Amino acid sequence: MTATTGASKLLDALARLVGRTVVVAFLGFMVLPAVFIGVLSFSNDPYIMFPPQSWGTDRYVEVVTSSTWIRPITLSLEVAAATAVVTLAVVVPAMFALKRGRVPGTMAVESAGIAPMLFPVAAYAVGMYAVFAEFGLLGTFAGIVVAHTVHAVPLVIILLSTAMDQIRPELELAAMTMGASRLRAWAGITVRLLLPAILAAAIFAFVLSFDEAVFITFLGGPGLVTLPKYIFDSVQFGVDPAITAVATLLMVVTAGLMLGATVLRGRSR
Amino acid sequence: MLSLTTERPASAGRGTTTKTKPWSSTLSLRTALLMVAPLGVAIALFVIYPLIKLFWDSVTLGAGPGNYVAALSSGAIRRAIGTTLLDSAVVMALAVVGGTALAWTLRTTRQGWVKALVWAAVLLPFWMGVVVKNYAFALLLAREGPINSLLLQVGLIQEPLELMYTQTAVVLGMTYTMLPYAFLAVFPSVSMVNLELLNAARGMGASELRTFGGVVLPLIRPGLIAGCAIVFAMSIGFYVTPVLLGGAQTPFIATVISDDIFRFFDYPRAAASSVILLVIALTTLAVTIKAVGLRAVRGGLG
Repeated sequence: MTATTGASKLLDALARLVGRTVVVAFLGFMVLPAVFIGVLSFSNDPYIMFPPQSWGTDRYVEVVTSSTWIRPITLSLEVAAATAVVTLAVVVPAMFALKRGRVPGTMAVESAGIAPMLFPVAAYAVGMYAVFAEFGLLGTFAGIVVAHTVHAVPLVIILLSTAMDQIRPELELAAMTMGASRLRAWAGITVRLLLPAILAAAIFAFVLSFDEAVFITFLGGPGLVTLPKYIFDSVQFGVDPAITAVATLLMVVTAGLMLGATVLRGRSR
Repeated sequence: MLSLTTERPASAGRGTTTKTKPWSSTLSLRTALLMVAPLGVAIALFVIYPLIKLFWDSVTLGAGPGNYVAALSSGAIRRAIGTTLLDSAVVMALAVVGGTALAWTLRTTRQGWVKALVWAAVLLPFWMGVVVKNYAFALLLAREGPINSLLLQVGLIQEPLELMYTQTAVVLGMTYTMLPYAFLAVFPSVSMVNLELLNAARGMGASELRTFGGVVLPLIRPGLIAGCAIVFAMSIGFYVTPVLLGGAQTPFIATVISDDIFRFFDYPRAAASSVILLVIALTTLAVTIKAVGLRAVRGGLG
């Protein structure tokens, strides 16, 4: 009896140890690459060396001063801003209609809007390539904004749909029974309550577009080089150490934006 | 915003013709349809039409249905399909195990810093961005990179290992990207587990393993299955990671497709390969939704 409980205790301890090791290993696996990039970005070595031989901010200076980085960054910012605006302009009215009207096939529209999230991206990009060729959108700014909008729509639908489910339509009805027009009830109550979620959705759409690398490769042609495409190309054809600085800046800015969006999203609950 | 203003003339016009129109609490169908229209058109043109066109082109252009024969009889494409499915399965297993381990840690820990660390670990891949993640792995796995120099210093190896441009590199890079999705799919079911049940099982003499396998696993099964499906369906379409970390040595279907379009200008065959890829992904998802329901799968996405 004591022998078996002793053995099972040992087994329990072993199971706990293995579990802990797995957790620590995965934590390290997820955290270390980011730390590694951050550390390397503060090295002044002419090429990537590990451990770094010299320290400094040369790489940051290069990114900010050289024109090679400014152009793709500007294009990415423009595309991302346009994507955020277009995505909201398309999704916000639709969500109001789907949640407040009796549109037949509401579930179908929502599901079809979310579906691209689960398409294998390479196959979807080929389909888009064919459609863009037909519509003359290949290699155009408008085309990239369209592609990025389709890329951002699923997450924005999910965010706004869950946010709107938390806002009770009775509030609007109360306002309307007291004489407010539907438009005024929406603008004064629902949109105001929804504003944090709308802002959060805009940020997520912006970040999704800013980070997008596959559609731009298939649809952007040679002329449109966004930041992810530029980094993608330079990693493929030799490594520019300044990428570490760009990467660190991107990480910090994106983290800030997404944390901000998460806080906003929480506030609308 | 745009269609909010378009609603005004419509209702004003109606007001002048039928002044006694009864007040209704639901939005009129016409206005609602007008407001859904932009999204509907966008979905029709850029979600549904690309799929139809892809399929149509794959059976009408080039060799017609022979495109599929061409795709499946090409050794390179068959090998790419094999690599893609195998590597995606490994990524699925690693991501779901890791995602579950981290979700479970978050559920059971009482320390604030552990919670913060888990959230950071899960969110870092989103913050780093698609290309930067893979760049980090390219540096880590390089011949003179830190992993090789560490192993050399410890004396485990005499020669630097060739880690880049291998399936290992691709699997590591993809797992890094997909683990957060697995975590998000598993976390809703993990956070519903009543921890009292564990104490009850232990109190009745169950071992740690038995408690986890007999109590926790059955409870989080829907999340696990949804996580597997989401990770697998997204993994088989990966493009950036196989190109950057796998190179020409470990082609994925995505690599072959882009080569067909941009290097061999064989769009029909690329369309056929894409349809094959889509069918595999959509079948996986359909089977999963049938098994655990749409809610579990959707819950893993937001």
